Amino acid sequence: MNGFLAIYRRELLSLWVTPLAWVLLTVFLLLQGAIFYSIVSHFASMPDVSVDTGPLQAYFGQESIFLLMTLLLVCPALSMRVFAEERRSGTIEALLTTPVTPGSVVLGKYAALLTTYALIWAPTLLYVVILRKTGVVDWGVVGSSYLGLLGIGAAYLSLGTLMSAMTKSQLVALLLTIFLEFGLFILGVGEYIFDPGVFRDLCAHVSMMGQMEDFSKGILDLRRVVFDGTVSSLGLFVTTRVVDSWRWG
Amino acid sequence: MIEVSNLTKDYGTVVAVRELSFSVEKGEIVGFLGPNGAGKSTTLRVLSGFLGATSGRVRIAGHDIAEAPRAARRALGYMPESAPLYPELRVFEYLQFRARLKEVRRDKQRAAIAHAMERAGVAHMASTVIGHLSKGYRQRVALADALVADPPLLILDEPTAGLDPNQIREVRSLIKDLAGERTILLSTHILSEVEATCERAIVIDRGQLVAEGRIEELRGRQKARRLCVRVRDPNGGAEAAISAISGLRLSSFSSEPGAPERRTLHVSLHEELAAEAVIESLVRAFTEAGIGIHALIPEQASLEQVFSALTAHEKAHTGKSEPGSTP
Repeated sequence: MNGFLAIYRRELLSLWVTPLAWVLLTVFLLLQGAIFYSIVSHFASMPDVSVDTGPLQAYFGQESIFLLMTLLLVCPALSMRVFAEERRSGTIEALLTTPVTPGSVVLGKYAALLTTYALIWAPTLLYVVILRKTGVVDWGVVGSSYLGLLGIGAAYLSLGTLMSAMTKSQLVALLLTIFLEFGLFILGVGEYIFDPGVFRDLCAHVSMMGQMEDFSKGILDLRRVVFDGTVSSLGLFVTTRVVDSWRWG
Repeated sequence: MIEVSNLTKDYGTVVAVRELSFSVEKGEIVGFLGPNGAGKSTTLRVLSGFLGATSGRVRIAGHDIAEAPRAARRALGYMPESAPLYPELRVFEYLQFRARLKEVRRDKQRAAIAHAMERAGVAHMASTVIGHLSKGYRQRVALADALVADPPLLILDEPTAGLDPNQIREVRSLIKDLAGERTILLSTHILSEVEATCERAIVIDRGQLVAEGRIEELRGRQKARRLCVRVRDPNGGAEAAISAISGLRLSSFSSEPGAPERRTLHVSLHEELAAEAVIESLVRAFTEAGIGIHALIPEQASLEQVFSALTAHEKAHTGKSEPGSTP
């Protein structure tokens, strides 16, 4: 447990004293600002809006494809260095010769990534504050939307951590992660392509867009949560085994 | 403190360490010697718990590294080769991180870090970013890291690699200062380093043990002892006088420019002959031949010679063993 906290703190510190987190934060907020602005101006030009749709629902739900595209860039870039850098520079040797378990190394690093991910999202709460000036905001829906985003981030970052442990090259880790997560995303798009059947159901089930559409309406579908949790735990479990396997390299 | 028995480590087809056994007692400073690629780093990585052994047993401070890895790692301060550090952190932040990892008690962390920085001579660099430090200072930060939890055993992989002569001297004297209660195992391919800091040496080549013992014992292993003789030899009869004595061999000679009768001869005394008797007969033979002896200097074999003799010998005999390698 000591090891977990020490690694978590070191990882967070390293993320935020180097430019990476700040660059990602800036790029992310510029993109989100542009998306949010166009959604809000679209709604502002509409004379009448039904109860179910509003800028927030559109941003987190129907138009979530934009938001997910930015996540497909930000998450792999955030996780690419987490193990690859330590192995390239050799600091992993100093790290693994202390009395820490591979589990706390992986969890500590992952928790720091997830915290950074949450911190990158935090400024977007201002959008809600801005909307509140001109209308009513359903805080339950806001909460479930962010929960959905956290679930997607948890899954993406877990896969990214695994890919980073697979290679010493940050670039290879980045490309592998993008490939994997883009594949997962495209699988979700299958919902709109395939004829009704098992395969379409499967696509609908793993769809990130589907998840955001549900969560942005305030529907907390437990199956979605279980899916995110499964992907995250599986990724972290395999990462732990990979870290363990370095002893036999 | 360290017990290694029949340690073997292979990387797939390449055997880096083969059936290696040795032990290090409490309080010793032991040099772990070998040419590059002999398997030194691999062995130390196994001892530190970074790599798993293919077969064989390693006990650190009484804990088997396979059965009680965390207890074994708690007992040792390990400094990896080339001292890898996080360049973005400050020295103090890095040592704080390391102290936490090594389970230094929270209320003792500050004192432990201050003490380690003091010992390693980086106290005045506490708030410098590691990336801005010179190689010598980074090496010292890594040393401070090895010391921070005050472990009874230090394993240092090439602690002076890449340092300038002044820094090497400083690191060596630091290592000597650390001796006493602490046990130190340090690897190097520089022999003078072992002669300067260690009491005992373990020599490996191609992953196998070739010699082990106190530095003086190892020096004594050189069978051919050497003698340097400066003479005034007007008749040039020195060669004949030497070859007349059994067990003596003239290995080289030179004359002073402008004074050909003043000569310097290097003689090797062979095998198990008593050196005193041979020297006496040499002096007698020279006096009888009318050669004036100016100086008679026994040359002790340097560890350098012992080392090259040992490793060359080994190569001749294990022609079919695979070369060791470091990943």
